[in-house]
Amino acid sequence: MQLSVDERDELRISVRRLLERASSSEAVRARLDDPVGFDAELWGQMVELGWLAIHVPEEHGGAGAGYAELAIVLHELGRQITPSPFLATAVLATRALLEADNEALRAELLPALVAGEQRASVAVTNEHGSCDVSQLSVLWEREGGGVRLRGTASFAPDVVGADTLFVAARAAHGEVALVAVEPTAPGVAIDPMAMIDRTRRLARVTFDDVVVAEEQLLCDPGPRSQSVVERLVSLGAIVVACDATGVAERVMERTAEYAKERVQFGKPIGSFQAVKHHCANMLVAVEGSRAAVRDAIDALDDPGSDLPFAAAVASSYVGPAASGVCGLSVQVHGGIGFTWEHDAHLCLKRAKLDEAWFGTPAWHRRHLADTVFPAGTPR
Amino acid sequence: MIEELAALEPFRQEVRAWCAAHVPTNWREEQQGGEHDRYAEFGRWWGSELRAAGWFAPHWPEEWGGGFSVAEQVVLAEELARGDAPRNGLYQVSLYNAAPAIIHLGSDEQRQRWLPGMLDGQVWCQGFSEPNAGSDLAGLQTRAVREGDHYVVTGQKVWTSLATEADWCILLARTDPDAPKHKGISYLILDMHSPGVDVRPLRQATGASEFCELFLDEVVVPVEHRIGEENGGWNVAQTSLDSERAVVILELSERLRRNGLEAVIAESAQWLLEGGGRAGDDAAVRETFGARYAEALVLRRLINDMIADIILGGDVGGTPSVIKLMYTELLQGLMRDATDRQGLAAHVDRPLLLSAGWETGSWMMDYVNSYGWTIAGGSNEIMRNVIGERVLGLPR
Repeated sequence: MQLSVDERDELRISVRRLLERASSSEAVRARLDDPVGFDAELWGQMVELGWLAIHVPEEHGGAGAGYAELAIVLHELGRQITPSPFLATAVLATRALLEADNEALRAELLPALVAGEQRASVAVTNEHGSCDVSQLSVLWEREGGGVRLRGTASFAPDVVGADTLFVAARAAHGEVALVAVEPTAPGVAIDPMAMIDRTRRLARVTFDDVVVAEEQLLCDPGPRSQSVVERLVSLGAIVVACDATGVAERVMERTAEYAKERVQFGKPIGSFQAVKHHCANMLVAVEGSRAAVRDAIDALDDPGSDLPFAAAVASSYVGPAASGVCGLSVQVHGGIGFTWEHDAHLCLKRAKLDEAWFGTPAWHRRHLADTVFPAGTPR
Repeated sequence: MIEELAALEPFRQEVRAWCAAHVPTNWREEQQGGEHDRYAEFGRWWGSELRAAGWFAPHWPEEWGGGFSVAEQVVLAEELARGDAPRNGLYQVSLYNAAPAIIHLGSDEQRQRWLPGMLDGQVWCQGFSEPNAGSDLAGLQTRAVREGDHYVVTGQKVWTSLATEADWCILLARTDPDAPKHKGISYLILDMHSPGVDVRPLRQATGASEFCELFLDEVVVPVEHRIGEENGGWNVAQTSLDSERAVVILELSERLRRNGLEAVIAESAQWLLEGGGRAGDDAAVRETFGARYAEALVLRRLINDMIADIILGGDVGGTPSVIKLMYTELLQGLMRDATDRQGLAAHVDRPLLLSAGWETGSWMMDYVNSYGWTIAGGSNEIMRNVIGERVLGLPR
């Protein structure tokens, strides 16, 4: 059930109210060096408030709303640069199960995710950071009815403490498989990666002859699994664009406030056109990013849409636009914006990670070009 | 809005079929290298085609032959762009600048006086900017001195498009030199055939002479040719509706995507790279145009959402300024990309397509021409001041 405009506003207000309190700058900073990297109490509140269930169909224990509603939460998490396993569990892993053909597995795992009893994540990025399915660096081969996994996936979010990991793997002949693995299973090694954006927890996951039973396959290996993995990557790209837009929006507001207050040469610096125009450029980038995200979110809610195309448009535009806002913010703040104690660098680092995650803008632009104007065709 | 557009599907098909039957397939070739007179003649002919279809002034009130809903105007604009119809550029000032002021702020007598002529195809021009009043338009110095039942107007205007063709001119002139600058200006309608009006074509950076200088030497303008109050002209000049401007920018952006971006991409497939191979197969070229394509789609979404807000009666805030910046900078960036990717071959001079907007047929010349867009209509620097001050609340 879609929410009305008023109901969406109410949801936005309640999400913002909670996060401004529970994910203040102090609260975010308290987690920067913590290995788990998120506030369990806040996670519990998200579960209790039903944020994990917003977009899950009612027959699976969800609220049956759409991504338009979920995007409100994602945008606000960006505004507060909240460290949270929400992206991994509620968005990516939940979607993997909703897409899965394996109904028994879905029936077993999805209710536990929606209820917050378990956490899960996905490993769809290769060891060097590519999300192109042709480059997957976890390899699979048949082992009875199931599969045997070897190789490494990097940049998997919030794997430490997760109960299940959905792993994308590629066979020597190119077929893609998507399988559920317990991170504690024998042969699975998890190495947390030191990231410059300390509001995120990503890990390298190595599979050393890990045998996975047939019941753990989400879909048949081959085109069906490949299309699910591609859609997960698209979803990831759209979600990080949504996050980055939230980051940029709040950064713009705070920068404009600062430009009104900070006095140099006897005037607020915002009265100088050089500064004013930086701020105006920030607003253009934020308005454009919001429009790009609305378009991409509509595509997520439309079963007939071309999701990789929508993700490519969002990533191509929002990636550099949002991170550009964060860069301008450092510049406008001047010396104070270059200090560790100011949040400007946290926002810049998060927006730059969002830009590169689930496909760089360059990769997405090539996909866009391939869709709109195929190469090598006579005209 | 989506439901409303779905209901307009039959109208969309009607416009599409009409375009297929009426848009000359060779109009670009025909206009290539055309002289100004031929352009004006073509523009008048195209205006009469639109008039015959009933689509000349769709945004006007119903009693004046318009009465199209905003959604219908959107469909019409989209389909004219899709069908690669020529722009109705000759009548831009009459239909979108002069008419809103007269319709909303003029008297019945004034509406009867001028609107039928506009519908019959009279050309209007705009005398706002002056050599010393560009971005600071309110600093204009052209004087209108009241003498009984008329004004005597003396001064100089510049950037007056199509003044050589025009029958009428909307003119801003100073009627109170002692008042604060915004409060001493009146909005007058000038008969271009009056004694004392001297029009001199002004050659632009592209070589074309679409603009003119307008010299006014003691020109008599009857008082009943004033729209609105004496000294109230500044507000009259801002009369066009959000929806009218929104539909114009929607049509421009659709044309940029279809006839600009897609044409650049199609052509680039044939451009030869210095190291061998074709530009259309080069990864860096493809990335560049992929990025521009995304920008065009994002701009389109922003405009769509603004139009939906207008239909719902919402406040569009600073969005029109944001859209002006995005559109003009996408246009300029795309033309620069095309010029750069075409390489040295882009710099060969050739006959231009006159006044079709940016579509001159030469990407380098379109790039030169793009500065007209980033300067006109409130320069982009002024737009950034507007956004900074009115949207973000920064001090002046």
